[in-house]
Parts: sequence; structure tokens; C-alpha cells
Amino acid sequence: MDSLLFLLPHLLNGLALGLLFALIALGFMLIIGVMEVINLAHGSLFALGAYAALALMTPDGGLPPAMVALFQALPLAWRYAAALVLAPLAVAIVGMGLELCLRRTYGRDPLYGLLLTFGAALVIEELIRLAWGPTERFIPMPQGITGGVMLGELIYSKYRMFAALFAIAMIALLWLFLERTPYGAIIKAGAHDSEMVGALGVNLPRLRLFVFGFGSLLAAIAGIVMVPIWGIRPHVGVDAVVPAFVIIVLGGVGSFWGAVIAGLLVGMVVGLTGAFATDWSLISMYMLLILVVTFRARGLLGKKSILEA
Amino acid sequence: MLIAFAVFGSLPFWITEIGLYHYLGVEILIWCIYELGFNLLLGYAGLPSFGHGAYFGIGAYAFGLTQFNLWPNLWVCLAAAILAATLFGAVVACFISHRRGIYFALMTIAFGQMFFFIASKWTSVTKGEDGLLNIARLPVELGFAAYPIQRNAAFYWFVFACFVVVAVLLWRIVNSPFGKVIQAIKQNELRMSFLGYRVELYKGAAFVLSCAFSGFAGALFAMAQGGAFVQVMNLQWSGVIVLMTLIGGGLVSFWGPVLGTILYFVARDLLGAYTATWLLWFGLMFMLVVMFKPEGLAGLWRDLRRRGATRTNAAKAGAQPSALLALLRAR
Repeated sequence: MDSLLFLLPHLLNGLALGLLFALIALGFMLIIGVMEVINLAHGSLFALGAYAALALMTPDGGLPPAMVALFQALPLAWRYAAALVLAPLAVAIVGMGLELCLRRTYGRDPLYGLLLTFGAALVIEELIRLAWGPTERFIPMPQGITGGVMLGELIYSKYRMFAALFAIAMIALLWLFLERTPYGAIIKAGAHDSEMVGALGVNLPRLRLFVFGFGSLLAAIAGIVMVPIWGIRPHVGVDAVVPAFVIIVLGGVGSFWGAVIAGLLVGMVVGLTGAFATDWSLISMYMLLILVVTFRARGLLGKKSILEA
Repeated sequence: MLIAFAVFGSLPFWITEIGLYHYLGVEILIWCIYELGFNLLLGYAGLPSFGHGAYFGIGAYAFGLTQFNLWPNLWVCLAAAILAATLFGAVVACFISHRRGIYFALMTIAFGQMFFFIASKWTSVTKGEDGLLNIARLPVELGFAAYPIQRNAAFYWFVFACFVVVAVLLWRIVNSPFGKVIQAIKQNELRMSFLGYRVELYKGAAFVLSCAFSGFAGALFAMAQGGAFVQVMNLQWSGVIVLMTLIGGGLVSFWGPVLGTILYFVARDLLGAYTATWLLWFGLMFMLVVMFKPEGLAGLWRDLRRRGATRTNAAKAGAQPSALLALLRAR
């Protein structure tokens, strides 16, 4: 019983982390699906989301004074809610800009898209450093979601509970959007064969612009939620994009539930190794990946996809 | 090839004149060795590796550890570095040589990150974040004489000699039957396997070879810096070498990576002198290159030459055919 009580917080941490990872990975996967591009700038968009929220929530975040005054007048909880909506939208616009740059690489070796986004990641990271400085920053959190919560005999961080529930809600919404709306049907069809979708009369350039923006939006939301857990540094993006990679490959490219399961698995493995051997907690995820992919080339639930060409 | 050797061979005589320094030349040459070896994989075999920094780092650590614990002789230590990188590369190749494209890239990232974290956490061997310090530049023993290479100018000549050897070796490799096979695999892997080639063996061999060159460059870099550090193994540095190879035009030219390396280091020094955010401008430049000229500098040069050639041909052929050509082009 004691050992279980010792493990439980780590399991819960892993769960919360895994759900957020899954959220990052799902945005990443949408972009891979429709654009056939590995978006290495995804982590930078994640970081940009966090910094955009910082700009909205703190007085020295870099917004014009009039807007700062407007925002600072609001209570903290409202400001947080506003940041959760506005910052991702801003990042979505940046993502759309990136998609416009990417257009020249469509139909060529997928390596070019990957390299272009690598360059974009460098640029975004340097811009963040220029605008907000290289030091670690924090965002003040509303009262309602800070502090601890009692789970039986266990005290658990209320914020992590909030983050996990929020991620579950976002994943559920995303699933409903993809499975129950005509837009979702178009996106899924686009991931299957985007040229055919274009031939059927869907405005393909607009679809791609929209999906890239949407993927960036998900990254930014995850970025904002992750701030109190990881803090924000300009290079935090690398810590986010690499797990997203791992999860996509692990779960299988193009599989929604594969990504969710793999996200949870990675989160758990990182959480558990964190409990027993802290030094190994970051390596464990790669070991898991190599193990799974060696035996199941397309990941847990993967189907044959365009990325194998 | 002769131009490159002439430029690098005469470099010590003019580099200080234009306000740069010998150490920059050393750095450029070492990274050229690294990039040329890397381009065997990226440009010739068409396999994008995003975790190549690992083998560079392994070479550096192996060099330092052999020097401290086994036998502080230059040739032995260099051989140990190459051997270590080759061995690790061979193990990794077993896992990844049958993969293609993006999956290959992802697996190299996974292995690269794994080696990076092991190197940064295994402090009893690698000294972790501090790096393995006090690696000496061992004297070059040629049997009849030994030359000290402590000073940068002398060290430059040693690295230059290594560069010449590596460049000639790689030139021979890419123009050998083996080189032709890996280029054909890049073009069409399936067809090559139908022709009876053991595709994954060739891909694995290309990977291991390029790891060996990376290890060699890593050992030289450990000597240059006087220590082995973990930073070169991280994802960003592994990405930067892809960037250097591409911006110079590694996909279309043997010498592309050399151009890219020179551009990168000179840009770092010159732009870095004016602004702290030089990486921002370099990143923007890189994005523009990928968008508008993905074949890089060497591709630009090739196009210019080709355009010049068509123009002279057209001039030779007289007015009427050239008008026809123009008509064709307009359509």
C-alpha cells in the first residue's frame, strides 16, 4: 500500500503529461496528414503560444500600453481565459504565414518541408529571445487552479488536475470535430489523399492553410497549459516537438487513438522512470520508441502512409 | 578539387591579413570533414540523418578517453575514435538500415537523442555538462620525426592534411561502384532491390562509413577545442549540419558541403560581430534558400554555368534557331 501511495503521484503526473503530449502530437499529426510535412517548427509554435499568453497576462509582456491597461483591469481568471483563447488565435495566424512559405515545397521531396520548418524554428526561437529575453519567465495563475487537492490520503497539485482535465476536454472536442462534422470529414479525407480531395472541388490551398493554422492553435494551447509545469524558456520548443515526434511514430501515423494511447504511454514511462531513476527519465521515451518500432514498423495502430515513400 | 585544396592550402598565409584567424580555418576544415562524410549519406544515399552529432561526439569522447586511459599516441587515439564511431554506427545501422525517408530520419533522431542524454548523464565517464577537459593536441609522430601541433598554425597544417586525405578518399568512394549503387538507391530503392542488390546492406554501409568520418572529425575537434563537450551531440547541432550541407548545395555537388560550412562559419563571425541574433538572419536566409533554391549555392552555380552554356550554343547556332529556342521557351 505504501509503495502504491508512493507511485500514485508519479502515475498521475505521467497521466497529465501524457495527455498534454497527446494534444501536441495531435496538432502535429493533422499537419503531417494534410500537408505531408513534418513540422519541426511545431515546438516553436508551442513556445510562441506560451509567450503570447505571457504578453496578455503580465504588465511587462510587450503589448502596447493601452492594451496592457485594458487587460490588467480584468480579474486574473478572466485574463487567463482570454489568454487561452486569444494567444492560440495569434499563433494560428503565424502558423498560416508559415504555411504560405511552405507552399513552394509541396510536391517535392518531403525533406525540403522538414528543412524549411527547421529554419522557421530557428527564426521563431531567435525572435522570441529578441522580444522577451533569454531568461525563464512565469505566468501568474488564477487562485482557483493553484494549490493542492486532497485525493483520499494524497495531496495532489490542483493545477495538474486542471491540466489533465483540460487536455481530456480538448481531445474530446477534437475527436467530435474530426468525426462528427463535415469539416472533420474533409480533413480526414485530405489526410488520406489531398489531391483527390482537391479534384473533388474542395479548395485545397484554403484547406491546407486552415489545417496548418488549426494545428498551430493546438500547439499553442498545449504551450499555455504547460507553462506552470515546465516554465517558459525560448528553447522550450525542443522539449515539446521531440515527444510529439516520438508519439506520432509510436502510435502510428494517421491514427487518432494511436496518438492518444502513445501519448499516455510516453507520459507514464517518463513519469515512472522519473520516480525511480531521474537521470533516465528522458532516455526512456526513446528506448520505448526503438523497442516498439523495431517490432511494429508502423507503430501501435499505424496504417501504411505517405511517409514511407 | 584543386581549387579547394589551393584555397585551403594557402589559407594560413592570407587569413590573418583579412582580419580572421587560424583557429577559424581549423574549425572550418574540421566541419568540412564532418559535412563531407555526412553528405555521403544525405546527398548521395538520400538518407536524412538528424542525429549525426552523436557520432561526432562519440569520436571526441573516444579520443579523449583513449588518451587518458590507454595510450596517448595520436594515431592510436584517432583510430580509437574512428573505431568507436563505426561500432556505434554499425549497431544503429542494424536498427535503421531497412527504413526509408521520414521514418529513417525519426529513428536517427531517436538514437541521436539517446546518445546525447547518455553522454550528458553518464558523468563518471563523460563528465556530463562540464565536458571532458584537458584533451591534449598530441604530437604527430611519423616514425623518423615528431612534430608538435600545439599552436593553431601548426595544427592547421595537420588538419589540412587530414582534410586532403578525407576529400580524396570520399571522392574515390562516391565515384566507385559502391558510390554508384547508393546513388541509384536514392533514385529508386525498389528497382535496385529488383536488380538483386541487397539494398539495406548498402544503406547500412553508407551510414556506417559516414559515422566513421564523423567520429574522425569529432576527434580532431576534441583536439582543437582541448576537450570533448556534449553540446555538439544535441538535436540543434545535428540539425545545423543538415542546414550547412543543404545551404551549400550538398544535394547536387560533392563540394557543396564545403561551401556551406565556409558560409556558416564566416557568417557566424561576421554577422555575429554586428548582432547577437545572427542565427535569426541565418535562419531566414536558410528559409529563403529552401523556398527558392533548394539545391543551394552549388545549384545556383550549376544553373549559371548551364545558362551560360546554352547562350553560347545558341550564339554558335545562329539567329534562326535561337529565335526558335526563345519561342519554345515562351511556350
